[in-house]
Amino acid sequence: MPQYILLLYENRPGVSNLSPEEMQKATEKYMAWAKMPFTKGAQRLAPDHGRVLRPNSGKAKVTDGPYGETKEALGGYYLIEASSYDEAVQRAQAHPHIEYGGVIEIRQVFGT
Amino acid sequence: MPDGTGELVEHLFRQMSGRMTSHLARLLGSSRLDLAEEIAQETILRALQTWPYHGVPENPPAWLFRTARNLALDQLRHERIADHKQQDLRPRDSTPAPDANLDEFRDDELRMILMCCHPEIPRESSVALSLKTVGGFSVREIARAFLAEESAIAQRLVRAKRQIRDRGLTLDLPRGEELQSRLDAVLETLYFIFNEGYAAHEGEDLIRRDLCVEALRLARLIAASSLASPKVHALAALLALESARLPARVDALGDLVLLENQDHSLWDQQLIALGFHHFSVSISGEELSEYHVQAAIAAEHIRGGLSGTMDWPAILHHYGQLLEMSGSPVVALNRAVAVAKVHGAEYALAAIEPLLADPALREYYLLLAARGHFLLELDRREEAAACFRAALERRCSEPERRLLRKKLKECE
Repeated sequence: MPQYILLLYENRPGVSNLSPEEMQKATEKYMAWAKMPFTKGAQRLAPDHGRVLRPNSGKAKVTDGPYGETKEALGGYYLIEASSYDEAVQRAQAHPHIEYGGVIEIRQVFGT
Repeated sequence: MPDGTGELVEHLFRQMSGRMTSHLARLLGSSRLDLAEEIAQETILRALQTWPYHGVPENPPAWLFRTARNLALDQLRHERIADHKQQDLRPRDSTPAPDANLDEFRDDELRMILMCCHPEIPRESSVALSLKTVGGFSVREIARAFLAEESAIAQRLVRAKRQIRDRGLTLDLPRGEELQSRLDAVLETLYFIFNEGYAAHEGEDLIRRDLCVEALRLARLIAASSLASPKVHALAALLALESARLPARVDALGDLVLLENQDHSLWDQQLIALGFHHFSVSISGEELSEYHVQAAIAAEHIRGGLSGTMDWPAILHHYGQLLEMSGSPVVALNRAVAVAKVHGAEYALAAIEPLLADPALREYYLLLAARGHFLLELDRREEAAACFRAALERRCSEPERRLLRKKLKECE
């Protein structure tokens, strides 16, 4: 079965003002999605800026990553199974992330 | 991939938010309550951002405390780097291990609620501050629960925090007589919060019921602490017994159901048991507070409801006691209802006669409603109808209004 990576970009302003009770509701919704049988893996990324290496006259130039305070940071990813892109999109659409203002990017894993 | 069921204990984040705020405030000092709240909020956010990927940790409260403490220590480190001279930003207490016994955190909550109810802070600010800091409610939720504007609640919080800073109020436990009077203020605040949540309103927002849950939780917290006294147990008993009947108070259409018509199978057995437990502890000492008498009345209501025969003479006796203690016209009105049951509506009418001139009750719809009720029982229909009509002109909620209209129909 083809595999897809779902990259979840966070929308901090969209969730940081929720009340603790509302955050619990959100967490429960996220968890309910995550334990569906089609999810094959998941990782949360550390909430820092990350680093970017770019070529600079043949050497690597290291800078802080693209995610400042204002940008939507890449928060984590899921590996899911789906029979087609359409189904992968469908599954991603059911994720509560969108409801809370987050962005999801889908890429198929090559060769699957 | 997350494991476990993903289900969290009900209100876990809200309650942990209160605990973390109380704990952090003790760590950082009461003047930095805002920072404590921010860190607690950030911690809950981290849980939301992490648990869906890695699963709920084995011990969620310990995870939250560890995260909150680390964020607080990071913050202090930053500040020290920014300003070398500020050496006093070290945590004040020797810091407990993150998964230390929860007792210590209960102690933090107690200190926080005692500070929130400091006499320097006005009552309405105390209420908002208690719900925000110890209760873990957001400003929006508090505003919704009190049918108030968000900005009004925010203002009360700002004022309370200013008082804390300006007057140097601390989280230290007061001593001796001051502790007693502060504890009394806490109980009054909890009683107020509970009643606010208990009052029926249109749409019956669940947040209002949460006020009752929180007031009872805090009363039990105090009852389980070294600050417990018969009076504390009496309040816990009262709140538990009243809470037990909450699910039966409104029917499926949102209409009020009077005590005698309530479906007892909807009453919460656990809360009833809890209430009677606290009640029996409360009467172990000499002290007899208004909470004791109110709890005794609530207990009679439950007993009567379950057995099918209400002991109205006992209830009348308790209301008499309560009236002597409080002198409150509202209590006198409630007593009149018991008078009607024991001696008849004629006596009840006479009992409320002096209340009609009381300026405190002039705008109170229940006085007119009760009078109409007694008159109707005496078959004085026209006078009764006039009372219900007048009651409808007073301020009352929509479910109460519907009940009044129903009564008015019965007069025809």
